[in-house]
Amino acid sequence: MSDYILQVKGLHTLYGESHILHGLSFDVKRGQTVSIMGRNGMGKSTTLKSVLGIVKPRSGSVLYKGEDIGSSPTWKRMRNDIAYVPEGRGMFHNLTVKEHLQMAARKNSRSEEHWSYDQVLDVFPRLQQRLTNKGTQLSGGEQQMLAIGRALLTNPDLLILDEATEGLAPLIRKEIWDVIRKIKQSGVSTIIVDKNIKVLHELCEQHILIVKGKVIFNGDSTELDAKREFIESNLAV
Amino acid sequence: MDLSLFLVQLLNGVQYGLLLFLIASGLTLVFGVMGILNLAHGSMYMIGAYLVYYFTTVTDSFFLAVVIACAIAMIIGIIIERFLITHLYQRDHLDQVLLTVGLIFIFNAAQGFIWGNDPLGVDVPAILSSSIQLTDIVEYPVYRLFISVVCIAIAVAMYYVINHTKLGMMIRAGESNRDMVEALGVDIRKLFTIVFAVGVTLSALAGIVSAPIVSLVPGMGERVLISCFVVVVIGGMGSIKGAFVAALLVGIVDTFASVLLPGMSSMTIYLLMAMILIFKPQGLYKS
Repeated sequence: MSDYILQVKGLHTLYGESHILHGLSFDVKRGQTVSIMGRNGMGKSTTLKSVLGIVKPRSGSVLYKGEDIGSSPTWKRMRNDIAYVPEGRGMFHNLTVKEHLQMAARKNSRSEEHWSYDQVLDVFPRLQQRLTNKGTQLSGGEQQMLAIGRALLTNPDLLILDEATEGLAPLIRKEIWDVIRKIKQSGVSTIIVDKNIKVLHELCEQHILIVKGKVIFNGDSTELDAKREFIESNLAV
Repeated sequence: MDLSLFLVQLLNGVQYGLLLFLIASGLTLVFGVMGILNLAHGSMYMIGAYLVYYFTTVTDSFFLAVVIACAIAMIIGIIIERFLITHLYQRDHLDQVLLTVGLIFIFNAAQGFIWGNDPLGVDVPAILSSSIQLTDIVEYPVYRLFISVVCIAIAVAMYYVINHTKLGMMIRAGESNRDMVEALGVDIRKLFTIVFAVGVTLSALAGIVSAPIVSLVPGMGERVLISCFVVVVIGGMGSIKGAFVAALLVGIVDTFASVLLPGMSSMTIYLLMAMILIFKPQGLYKS
């Protein structure tokens, strides 16, 4: 069994004529929580979408649990226990909160169930009160909770969160971070895209900084401390 | 118009409306979920009717023929989606129109080649061939009631599947955000194949059950297609609930217009559509 849950090597991704990712590489060890930082438009979301096959890289490889998944369709990659919380949350306007959770729920590929419907509602008590509301009727924070809850119900080994707390009120952010801590404790490998360096420093074992489609920093929290100023200058707007 | 005649016309209108719903629901489902405008949807109505004619003669049993015809219609649907429609998802509606109009020509040619252009008929199965006495002088054929019951049963089943099953939730989710459905590990290609095959089978089923009360003629598919579009536009593109309400409305209006206003009956449903669109440009139930 590979020590790495994810190995990304030399990704080049283009949108039409514009070259977004320039030979981007990074690895994620099993059970680790990894942050991806960078300004808007630097290629963070494109990196995640390339890993998931939502956009097709022109070259490079994506190894998941040691196997090259570059040619599998997105849904098959997800079936191998990857879950995705997209930027914008991916709500369904015509499904209730309860239905969002029900339609996504499944055992993982080894027929294990670590997260049940009730457990997810325990973690997100706010959703309990909104079960009959439509996904798009929720506040931004509730939508994010629903998107994370829905992802957990697929019982993933790798959870990918794009813009985990962007645009949310401080109190809601705290709730989301608390839940991500619980997910971390449960042993799920997690990739988090966010800009909150303080929380990420404490939460993640590994940090990646993307600038113009390249990884320009990749290190643990100690190394992050050593280069904190450099990294913060690359996050400032 | 006396009361008994009114009642018969109302029953006819409802029955026609339910039949229109059966066809329109498939059209609107495929459009709503997959974004595909299938102009060959009416051809499946024709194919259903001709298939049940053929298999009734071969097997000597109408009901067995119904089952076989439905199964073949579903297989045709799967083949069309897998080999043709699949190339259209990334393209615009004009390309969809080109391909599906092409299919109409192919199906019509096939129909002429296999069954010829003379009108054909299917006998009402003996067990359903009686009539119910409504009043002393007015009676209503049991077979027409049978059609209504079949349509209502299908409508209830559709309502249940779409609103209360995981498959239904996935279908609705696909209507809302296709990429997200895939990102949750759902094989959207398979989901689309199922939706398309079921959609065209509903149209074929309408042709199958109406075969004993209409004559099978070339071009029968296009005629229902146009009424069906009126239903879908009135109901709101992609809305099944809208299709249900609109189909009953069109069925009843069309039936009464042909009795009360024989001179202008052919245009009443279009007038109805225009009137509704003035007040509800998106149709009654916007999807």
